[in-house]
Amino acid sequence: MKVLVEVASKKISRYVDSCDALLLGLEKFSVLNSVTFSLDEIENIVKSYPDLEIFVKVDKNIFNDEIDEIRHVLERLEQMSIRGVFFYDLALLEFKQELNLSLDFAWSQTHMVTNFRTCDYYFKQGVSYALLSKEITLDEILDICHQSKIKTIVEVVSLPSLGYSRRKLVSNYYEDSGSVGPSTLSLLEKITNKHYLVKEEDNGCGFLLDEVLNGTGVISSLYQAGVCYVLLREEGIDDFLELASDTKKYIAGKCLDTKYVEKYKKLGDSTGFFFQKTIYRVKK
Amino acid sequence: MKRIELLSPAGDIERLKVTLLYGADAVYIGGEKYGLRANATNFSLDEIREGCEFAHKLGKKVYLTLNIVFHNEDMDGVEEYIQEVVDAGIDAFIVSDPFIISYIHEKFPDVEIHLSTQASTTNYKSVEFFLKQGVKRVVLAREVSLKEIKEIIDKTGIDIEVFIHGAMCTCYSGRCALSNYVTNRDANRGGCAQVCRFSFAVLGDDKKEFTFATKDNNLAYYIGDLIDAGVRSLKVEGRMRSLYYLATVIGTYREIIDRYYNHSLSDEILKELDERLARVANRAVSTHYLLGEAGSDSQYYTGRNEASNQDYLGQVISYDKDKKLVKIYERNYFTKGDYVELFTPSGERISFEVEKLYDEDFHPVDVARHPDNIYYIYLDTDISIVGYSMIRLLHH
Repeated sequence: MKVLVEVASKKISRYVDSCDALLLGLEKFSVLNSVTFSLDEIENIVKSYPDLEIFVKVDKNIFNDEIDEIRHVLERLEQMSIRGVFFYDLALLEFKQELNLSLDFAWSQTHMVTNFRTCDYYFKQGVSYALLSKEITLDEILDICHQSKIKTIVEVVSLPSLGYSRRKLVSNYYEDSGSVGPSTLSLLEKITNKHYLVKEEDNGCGFLLDEVLNGTGVISSLYQAGVCYVLLREEGIDDFLELASDTKKYIAGKCLDTKYVEKYKKLGDSTGFFFQKTIYRVKK
Repeated sequence: MKRIELLSPAGDIERLKVTLLYGADAVYIGGEKYGLRANATNFSLDEIREGCEFAHKLGKKVYLTLNIVFHNEDMDGVEEYIQEVVDAGIDAFIVSDPFIISYIHEKFPDVEIHLSTQASTTNYKSVEFFLKQGVKRVVLAREVSLKEIKEIIDKTGIDIEVFIHGAMCTCYSGRCALSNYVTNRDANRGGCAQVCRFSFAVLGDDKKEFTFATKDNNLAYYIGDLIDAGVRSLKVEGRMRSLYYLATVIGTYREIIDRYYNHSLSDEILKELDERLARVANRAVSTHYLLGEAGSDSQYYTGRNEASNQDYLGQVISYDKDKKLVKIYERNYFTKGDYVELFTPSGERISFEVEKLYDEDFHPVDVARHPDNIYYIYLDTDISIVGYSMIRLLHH
């Protein structure tokens, strides 16, 4: 099992010793990345850091007028020695098949990667990896690992993303109130007393929980189940490089160091849905 | 050229019948499993069978939603369930999960597969992908414009279904787990708590409340454009909506579509029909993305902005031509002297003043004040008034 880091800085050298692989947001075509990279920049990173595996995140919903550019993006990425492409929109998979691309693909449809049979469906379609949804339990994750042929990636530390809208909700808010302000709004839901962020960018608005998902305590189980990568998202996480580096060492030591788990209790006690099952029927 | 389909939601067997009588060409329903309205009434297998028989006798169709995002445990029994509902007579499945699509396509090649809007399909290339998987129709994401819809049809030739009326999501369908995090209710398995309509406090601005709730969708003025673009089906949202709402909305869109085809849809008539839609609306409306970006006027910013509707006075049970009495099942308070409109499933409308009113025992009364009771209203007309006609208030 390897450590995959979604970067929040363009200074790639800082990640070299603390992880195995990087997830880079692609300019224009990735969502909720505070830094993104052009194709030329990615090409340079691949050449300059041959020991780092590079994944590229192309996860916006694609519209007709972007199709030609997406084809060009995939053709360029095919020429680079990258590990794979995280995709959301099925237009990318259609291009992979149509152009017979050898690029590895990772199914990355945020909240929809939730069962082993659909993982296997994508595997048969030529997809190598699945970034499992954060909204399923650890048991469900382990079950997918055991029952599907696809290689799995599990997000273990992040400010979790909760949704994405094409709307310009923050700009609209300022326009309505006749005010101006930053592109991110901090919100409080009064009944649950939980904090959220609404972050506006060129592609729309994303919602984040303003609370760290702390899955450091389940890494050992993921290792045992054969998960391929654990994903740590840097955005909003303090002392991130230390965390990434410690996680890499923890896994290299086969997840036996209890001090690691103790140390990272400091990230908080929010374990997302690892141990909490959602409900959907509320009527008797 | 095929005429465009008007597709209505139906939350139960009665609404299925009413909406087909009011002019829907097809209905979409949820079964007791695997649909995105886990807390709606939903249809048992027997009701699905009954609904299909009713629809097919009228030459109409029934589509079943099977569009949850499946977890491992949901896969148990899904194959048997698909077999059962196929046997019950459904004409198509509305699905978002590609594994389920491939399964249905392989096992039941004669049953149509419609790709749910839950898949948020926004471009022709992803339509091409699903076309190869056996999908016959795509319900496009609500984020696409008229120009993009036409381009997708022109490039792929696939049947396209477009939402024309009803509630809208704030986020891309399927790309939202707000409900999961705020309420622990799984949005993608039918438990959506509509958190986007909740009120949040903006930190740093104590006076401000913030919602990101959307106004409803209303494309009444663009039905002709959608027909001309080659859209196959026009879909109304709302499996949990009332009989009155469905009768009004479906009846009105039926009239818009028919008038467009027979060239009798003037601007004046369209305005009048749109006003009729407004009478059953409980939120303001917008065209959202149809003409481009959904702007600041497409959403609400403070609290819930929903009005309850008191126009609906009652549902007609029968009409006694000899006694000239309409028997109704009352839903809202009204009095003698009120001006009301009775409308029928076939589109007839009669406006009149309530001159004589009787209770269930034929005692004259001045006021119908008890919802769910039976009343009789005097009405002298030659127009055929059938069950499931409805009465609404014009003015007191």
